[in-house]
Amino acid sequence: MSNLLATENVTKKFGGLAAVNDVSITVKQHTFTMLIGPNGCGKTTLINCCTGILKPTEGRVLLGDTDITGWPTHKIYEVGFVRTFQIPLPFLGLTVLDNVLGAMRNSGEAPLKAPHRRLWLKEEENNMERAMAVLHRVRLDKHWNKPSHTLGAAQLKMLEVAKGLAAGAKLIALDEPIGGVDPASADEILSHVSALKNEGLTFLVVEHRIDIAAPYADYIYAMDLGRLISQGTPQQVLGDPKVIEVYLGKGATEAC
Amino acid sequence: MKSQSTQRNLKSLLLNSEILAVVAILMALTFFLTTRGLPMVLTILVDFAVFAIITMSLNLETGFTGIPQFGRVLAVIAGAFAVGAIPGRLLAALMGLPAGLNYTIDTVQFQVSPELTAALSGSWMLSLLFLFICLVIAALSGAGIGWLTSRPAIRLREAYLGISLLAFGDFLMWVGHNWVPLVGGSTSVFVPDPFRIFGGARFEAVVIAIFLAALLVYAYLNRLTVSPFGRALKMVRDNEVSASAAGKDIVKIRTQSLVIGSMLAAIAGGLYVIYTGTVTAMGYSRLVWTFWPWAFMMLGGIGSTAGMLLGVMVLTIMRTLITVYRFEVFGFLMAWGINPLWLEFTLMGAVIIGVILFLPHGLVPEKVQSILPASRVNSILSKGFGAKLQ
Repeated sequence: MSNLLATENVTKKFGGLAAVNDVSITVKQHTFTMLIGPNGCGKTTLINCCTGILKPTEGRVLLGDTDITGWPTHKIYEVGFVRTFQIPLPFLGLTVLDNVLGAMRNSGEAPLKAPHRRLWLKEEENNMERAMAVLHRVRLDKHWNKPSHTLGAAQLKMLEVAKGLAAGAKLIALDEPIGGVDPASADEILSHVSALKNEGLTFLVVEHRIDIAAPYADYIYAMDLGRLISQGTPQQVLGDPKVIEVYLGKGATEAC
Repeated sequence: MKSQSTQRNLKSLLLNSEILAVVAILMALTFFLTTRGLPMVLTILVDFAVFAIITMSLNLETGFTGIPQFGRVLAVIAGAFAVGAIPGRLLAALMGLPAGLNYTIDTVQFQVSPELTAALSGSWMLSLLFLFICLVIAALSGAGIGWLTSRPAIRLREAYLGISLLAFGDFLMWVGHNWVPLVGGSTSVFVPDPFRIFGGARFEAVVIAIFLAALLVYAYLNRLTVSPFGRALKMVRDNEVSASAAGKDIVKIRTQSLVIGSMLAAIAGGLYVIYTGTVTAMGYSRLVWTFWPWAFMMLGGIGSTAGMLLGVMVLTIMRTLITVYRFEVFGFLMAWGINPLWLEFTLMGAVIIGVILFLPHGLVPEKVQSILPASRVNSILSKGFGAKLQ
């Protein structure tokens, strides 16, 4: 399996604070790669550096063979790498369906083409069929015509995932897709993700709730205070004394 | 489910009846205005049409894209000044009259302008061509100024962007007021009249033409915004970070919105000076050409193109009523030291406050709905998802 995403010694400093410090990770194709670590360890900052929301202070980000370091977010979307947000950021003035459609491409977005409906109607219909299928996957298809601000917190999480799926990317970074979601729905979301992985997508998942998410992961990276402290298969990482220490405190390994 | 939809129907009925009441009252009041004769009606129509174009263009930038456009006057000035400065000069040059820097000096204007209008009123072909050139020049200058303002302003956010646009807005007025060769400085420059060829029906003809232009702009914007482009604008408005993660180029989309909006506002500015026949730099204050459109837009319902027409119509009629009757009806205010002369300005301020307090979504709130027509949506739903949707 080849590397899809690789960060090489990525560092992000905010003033004197290195939120991400010399982190190199690789995400192999068709895997579910997880990034874990306690609050404030730099997981989201790393994702932000990879997806162009932030520019890394040092280091490189490679997608396949392309150097995407410092590219704007929309350009990174164009090469097939999308992300979702930890706190859902829906387009409140749009319907649930339009939230998903908006994450897809349509040539009717060009202002010269937009007034001529027949030039983009077919595309929009095809997109809608795909969008409805995605919404069905995350069980939001019943709500397709509701304004997105009427959805509940867990549904907004699902919508966030749906937007990522609909974008038709090869690599999707999910920032805490099950944060704030009840365990049953969390398992459901993750098994959808797993199924999509088997269909050929690749996922980089930032997650807090390792107990629920770890069984789905192929490979795990653990971070603390901006640095990578462990990596390997779920068993290796979860058994690593350094990982146990950052989650449970010093001395926890002996106690176990 | 059923009770919900009944409730919604009831709600929309109530809302519609409120709108109907407003329309009925205005129609009654308008009746008093119509007793003042046709010119009064035409004046309302032309004010409505010019401000409708400007307010719809403002709504494209502010209501759809979320740009705090506090400098609407800039694009209006761009159109007005361009039509004042360029087409007349071109015609004068063709006819061998003074067309250089001195064209705008009042003594030259009094000599040249009647000759230009006389030339136009002799030929349908020339009049039509002149009108066309005026509109093209206005549109180009508006698009140009929209693009220029977008360069430094586009990377700023919210308040800073609003302040920058506000400052840009006043800039051009002062250039025009102080640099005589542009549009005559503190004196006016005349615009050769392409509608003089209608003779006695000139007023009616120009009003109808501008009214038709407003309807065309309405149809255009409706088609432009009910589309993937319109959806992209709303995505940028609702959440920039999320929109860029969905592959939208924020800078490009904001630029497109500013260019199209400014182009339309400039066309309105150009039409307005063709209607009045003169351009006076100091006439383009931010009060009238930026904040009145804001009041119209807020009353109509930010984000709703149809609402713009209603907002502009309601306030234009109220404004005209005040200008006509202010001394007859409100003359008593003089005794308290309040001059009724300023009542229309008071009205606009009161409307902004009233809308914010009592009608934050305006008379016609923005609709959250799919851009595909219902029949297409249903056929797609019935194909694969009908069963699941019940």
